[in-house]
Amino acid sequence: MTSKPARQTSARFRSNLTSTKTLLDSLVRLNPVSLLANPVMFIVELTFFIVTAMSIYPPAFYPVANSSMRIYYVEVALIVLLTVWFSTLADALAETQAKNTASSLRSLESEVQSKKIVTEADLRRIVTTPSTALRKGDLILLEKNDVVPIDAEVLEGIGMVDESLLTGESTPVRKAPGDEVIGGSKVISDTLTARVTVNPEDTYISEMIRLVESSKRPRTPNEVAVTSVLIGLTAIFTIIVVALLGLSITLDLAVDLSVLIALYVCLLPTTIGALLPSIGLSGVSRLYRRKIVAKSGRAVERAGDTDVIILDKTGTITVGNRQAVEFIPVNSHTEKEVGEAAFLSSWHDDTPEGRSLIRLAYEDGFVPRELNALGVSEVYEFSASTRTSGVKISQGTGFMLPKGDKSGRERGRLRRKFEAHQEAGSAIAEDETEIIKGAPDAIKKIARSIPSNFDALVDRISSQGDTPLAVTRNREVIGVIRLKDVLKPGIREKILSVKVMGIRPVMLTGDQPLTAKSIASEVGIDEFRPEAKPEDKYDIVTKEQAETRVVAMIGDGTNDAPALAVADVGLAMNSGTQAAKEAANMVDLESNPAKIIEVVMLGKQLLMTRGAVTTFSIANDVAKYFAIVPVMFASTLPELKALNILGLGLNTAVLSALIFNAIIIPLLIPLALRGIRFKPTSTMALFIKNALIYGVGGIIVPFIGIKVIDIALLSIGG
Amino acid sequence: MSIKNEVKRNYGPALKLAIISMILCGLVFPLAVTGFAQVLLRDQANGSVAHLSGNNGRAVGSYLIAQNFSQPFFFHSRNVTLSASGVDPDITVEDALFQTQRISLVTNITQSELYSLVSQNVERTLRVFGDPYVNVVRMNLALIQAYQSIYQKLDPALFSQ
Amino acid sequence: MIQPGDFLTLLLILSTAIILGRLLAPHITSVFTSAPSRIDRVLSPIENRIYRLLDVDPTRGMGWREYFLSAMIVNIFQMSLAFTIFVFQNILPLNPQGFPGLNLDLAFMQVISFATNTNLQHYNGEGCTNPPNCYPVSSMLGLSYLSQMTAVQFLQFTSAATGLCVAVAMVRGFISRSQNLGNFYTDFVRSLTRLFFPLCFVAALIFVGLGVPQTIGGYQTVQTVEGTTQTILVGPVASLVSIMQIGTNGGGYYGANSAYPFQNPNPASDIFQILLMLLIPTSLCFVFGQLLGKRREARPIIIGAYALFAIDLLLAFIPRYALGQGIEVRFGGFFSTLWTVVTTAVTTGSVNASLAGMHPLVILSAFMGMLIQSTPGGKGVGLMYMVMYIIITVFIVGLMSGRTPEYLGMKINARDVKIVMVAFLIHPIIILIPTVLAYATGAASAIGVSTSSTGFTRIFYEFTSAASNSGSDFLGTAGNTPFFNISTALVMLIGRFAPIGLLLALAGSMINRKRSTEIGLRTDSITFTIVLVGSILLLVVLTFFPFLALGPVLEFFQKRVNGF
Repeated sequence: MTSKPARQTSARFRSNLTSTKTLLDSLVRLNPVSLLANPVMFIVELTFFIVTAMSIYPPAFYPVANSSMRIYYVEVALIVLLTVWFSTLADALAETQAKNTASSLRSLESEVQSKKIVTEADLRRIVTTPSTALRKGDLILLEKNDVVPIDAEVLEGIGMVDESLLTGESTPVRKAPGDEVIGGSKVISDTLTARVTVNPEDTYISEMIRLVESSKRPRTPNEVAVTSVLIGLTAIFTIIVVALLGLSITLDLAVDLSVLIALYVCLLPTTIGALLPSIGLSGVSRLYRRKIVAKSGRAVERAGDTDVIILDKTGTITVGNRQAVEFIPVNSHTEKEVGEAAFLSSWHDDTPEGRSLIRLAYEDGFVPRELNALGVSEVYEFSASTRTSGVKISQGTGFMLPKGDKSGRERGRLRRKFEAHQEAGSAIAEDETEIIKGAPDAIKKIARSIPSNFDALVDRISSQGDTPLAVTRNREVIGVIRLKDVLKPGIREKILSVKVMGIRPVMLTGDQPLTAKSIASEVGIDEFRPEAKPEDKYDIVTKEQAETRVVAMIGDGTNDAPALAVADVGLAMNSGTQAAKEAANMVDLESNPAKIIEVVMLGKQLLMTRGAVTTFSIANDVAKYFAIVPVMFASTLPELKALNILGLGLNTAVLSALIFNAIIIPLLIPLALRGIRFKPTSTMALFIKNALIYGVGGIIVPFIGIKVIDIALLSIGG
Repeated sequence: MSIKNEVKRNYGPALKLAIISMILCGLVFPLAVTGFAQVLLRDQANGSVAHLSGNNGRAVGSYLIAQNFSQPFFFHSRNVTLSASGVDPDITVEDALFQTQRISLVTNITQSELYSLVSQNVERTLRVFGDPYVNVVRMNLALIQAYQSIYQKLDPALFSQ
Repeated sequence: MIQPGDFLTLLLILSTAIILGRLLAPHITSVFTSAPSRIDRVLSPIENRIYRLLDVDPTRGMGWREYFLSAMIVNIFQMSLAFTIFVFQNILPLNPQGFPGLNLDLAFMQVISFATNTNLQHYNGEGCTNPPNCYPVSSMLGLSYLSQMTAVQFLQFTSAATGLCVAVAMVRGFISRSQNLGNFYTDFVRSLTRLFFPLCFVAALIFVGLGVPQTIGGYQTVQTVEGTTQTILVGPVASLVSIMQIGTNGGGYYGANSAYPFQNPNPASDIFQILLMLLIPTSLCFVFGQLLGKRREARPIIIGAYALFAIDLLLAFIPRYALGQGIEVRFGGFFSTLWTVVTTAVTTGSVNASLAGMHPLVILSAFMGMLIQSTPGGKGVGLMYMVMYIIITVFIVGLMSGRTPEYLGMKINARDVKIVMVAFLIHPIIILIPTVLAYATGAASAIGVSTSSTGFTRIFYEFTSAASNSGSDFLGTAGNTPFFNISTALVMLIGRFAPIGLLLALAGSMINRKRSTEIGLRTDSITFTIVLVGSILLLVVLTFFPFLALGPVLEFFQKRVNGF
């Protein structure tokens, strides 16, 4: 699509070409038995054997062969064999390319060291084992700060596990015997013993390797349909040639069998027949090169049909973290007060959002005096139910800690949940400062009074697509922080290209409607679902599908799994839960949700390439007829020479057509492996453009090509 | 349902439908058309039979079917082996005009009289209905009608039957 | 080249055909949707009586297989009845000329020929071998009035009705939310009572008015002006001509078909017959859109069909036409050429001039019409073929739009592609193999057909005509040999019922298939129509090019050297 990956492809293509292993592989594939899977090329090879037999003992083919033509038969046989070899070469190249990308992906999969428990003579021993070497049923030890290497079931111990990377839920989850721990999550307290529940190779990666081995690769529905067309055409041309053979004998037309076979091979859809397997395979490896693993070729094709893409705002459209951009004081408070309060309340907040608050306050010079008191502060952690967080500081006490020393900071501080704090009804002592920040509506519940312009301010920020965060000091609202969503670079263009192709993007976000609307309109999305929960995805997908649309979506959490499973194209993030990855039909190893758009484009490219080469292949036949038919009957029906509109040599015309037919295959291999280029435009525009290039072009190009080859043959005295 | 059952349940109605349709399409329809045609358009329905000297004369064939004219004083039909039907009843206007020369010579009717007779009998309705032509039977009957005495002399057998 | 005046006539005829077709379409649609109509009061009691006699429930829907089976069974019974009439016409009534019964192989071939809407004729219905006198009437190969009515006209009606019904049944499969393909008995009865009988009745009386005989009074013998004895070969002609043209059957009352003055007395009747041939095939293109409830989808079919038709006409009118051998004076070169193109474009197969005298390019144009079969093709089957072409085109070319190809919102799957490819394959198989066999077995030389380009054209044309259920022919009574009777009979049977069965199966599988509301490739666009026309030409030319080259094309080049 862009020129850069294309250049890489052709470089790869050249390096593959020189690879002797690929060459050898392509020769091994000439074995007729292995060609059986490709009916067109199998038949072409059969004709090679016939012409070879003609060259060895012409009298056996009387009256359609002639001993004086033996050299000619050898020439025809060689070109026919070359045609078959070009096809096997295309297969071998595509497979090498796919395997290379697949194995490079394999190394990408992060390997974690795990602590495997080995019991020898009643003695438990810990053996450090790479996660890929674990087997189902193995026991593993999980200690504090360990990453869970693979899905497992807890046998002993109770501990807290952080699954935030997988589920997005930042609250650690308590795990007791019988619970599942998910590969990729992190133990944050205590020690657990667990039993491995899956084999590492039973994951999607193994499926992926299977997909690129052409012998085992299942054909996609679309490939089966194209193959039916090819078989149908093959049958038609077989009848034509057999009928011509019959007429040649009964009407005494004296047509040589080798010429009929040359016509046959030329008419057969050899171009698409040779390239069809490679087109499918390279479609899959193009995905791999983008670090996306597809579980089936079918899913890739399906992506091309996408009508609706469901995009999560966070991570797909925006970078995922909001940045603080403005402190807005209310009533008589100053910007400085708000900035300092924000600074204090965020000191213990390690999220990118919290860090951005500190950065903004620091840049504006709002560094609070109370900084040194933070060490013995009381922290109210963020919880999903209160949607607030904060800090309580005793004046004049404590000491300043070196920033970034988390363990030190944690030592002196008391963590509690805000609701616990509220329930306890703890009063604020005179020398204490309590700062709470949070969602405006949550703050309204705890604030003593609400400033008169508070709602208007909050709404204004929301309607501008930003997120307001209210700040209170000792339960008095002192201001609002404006958090801005940061758009991913290039996302607007991507959304536009999707819309141009007639695909409807739908944005899903937990934001309130005003914010959602503003972001959506900023990137050009007309449809969005605000205040959506992950569970809503399933309903949206099934509703769109009920209206017969093909839906593509991304997901990472366990909550997304049902939706991923029903979606026509489900792209899971590698950082997501195992459940999500299993439910999806594709996994992005780089966990970049915006890639769903690329997946759709690749699907379209795959279908387009297949259609283009098929059309081209069939359109080519017109010129071949005009090259061969006039000279075929030249000896008995000289009047038909009038059809020799190309003015080809009587002895060279058939060979020229045959050579063109062979040579077009390697010329199109790069196209097959790379996929045809296209700019995102409407379906009809793509159709018209490709119909002109590959349909009309497919009629014209061989006329030129055959003529050029004929001139060359005549000049070397053929 | 199996094919067998589908065949079984359908061949009774199918046979009856075949018979009913044969009666309707093969007998009722053509006979109804015949009845209406014989009442409303009797002449055409029975083959546009041509009569010598008006409808009371003897039937001499059909206006629509060519017949052999070999006598020099008649307009001759086209050599019917040239046509597709073998009974092409018409000739071109040029052919008719060309033949007036011969007829004039034998009958002493002036060529200009014959010209006007031909032009009175040119078959043409609208421009879209193709080139004008002359019906040979109609032309010869018109000729006999116009020059009865001459033809009585030339071909005494003409009115005898 | 066509003369300006004739060109205007041509435009007038074609636009009239399109307008009449468009005007008739809502009526045809209502016949098959059972929409309430003013004529219900008269016809419903008659129809209900027939349903009661048949013992069928007219509202019971059928799946594709039962629909196809019942159509087949009805056809087999109808053929058997007609076969009996042909073979025993000598002992049956309404045989004033005392024609003998047909031989078995001829009778077999003829019932298949009429029941498949082909109307290839290896006999001379009027029994005259010595025109223009036809006296005495030959006792060979004539048909009695009973045969002409209860065998020929009968099957002409039923084959037309069957073709129309199966096409409508196919379209029903494409309608979203359809549950079945309809009831064959209901469709068949209603198409006769509400469409063919009224239309044919009016047309037949107009024909009589224009000079076509309609009598069962027997041949008349007269003394001609010059005193020779002549037989005037009258019969129930007008009723037959009306259905043979409206039903795109093409089998004439007379051996010379519509070149015979009684069957086609003047240019007015000639134009009327051309219009009747075009009427229902043209109308069906519109009916397709109306039944679907997507009128725009009729566009590629009507425009595509007429564009291909125009290409045929262009080809045929390249050479100068004149009143040559085998052409009737009243029609001249123009109407004879026009007829030849029209009759093959709608696979009627009737003739108003002898094909033997036609310029090779006119013959090539006739071949194109019969090989494409959708320009707009025979009633019903032409539409089915067009749908087949559309699906092949949508699939191959549609992939280039980057989506899985869809037609009418239905995704085209591998099974659909297989079905249409097999349907497309039928034609080359049943045309080319018998053509080769005709030479290989010596059957061609046995009837004096040479191996020259002219001879090959005649044989190739015979089987093309049989396969496309067209029926115009080069062989005529010469084809009355066991080889040609049996081979053409089989070709006609397969050429008729195999595509019908396959396309009904396709339609059957479309029932309950998801219909997408999103539009990828617009099949109702002009762009698609152009691509469709291009790919139809490409597919047909690719399949038959070498054989056309050996036939009319070679003849063209030979005559260009040796003179036409």
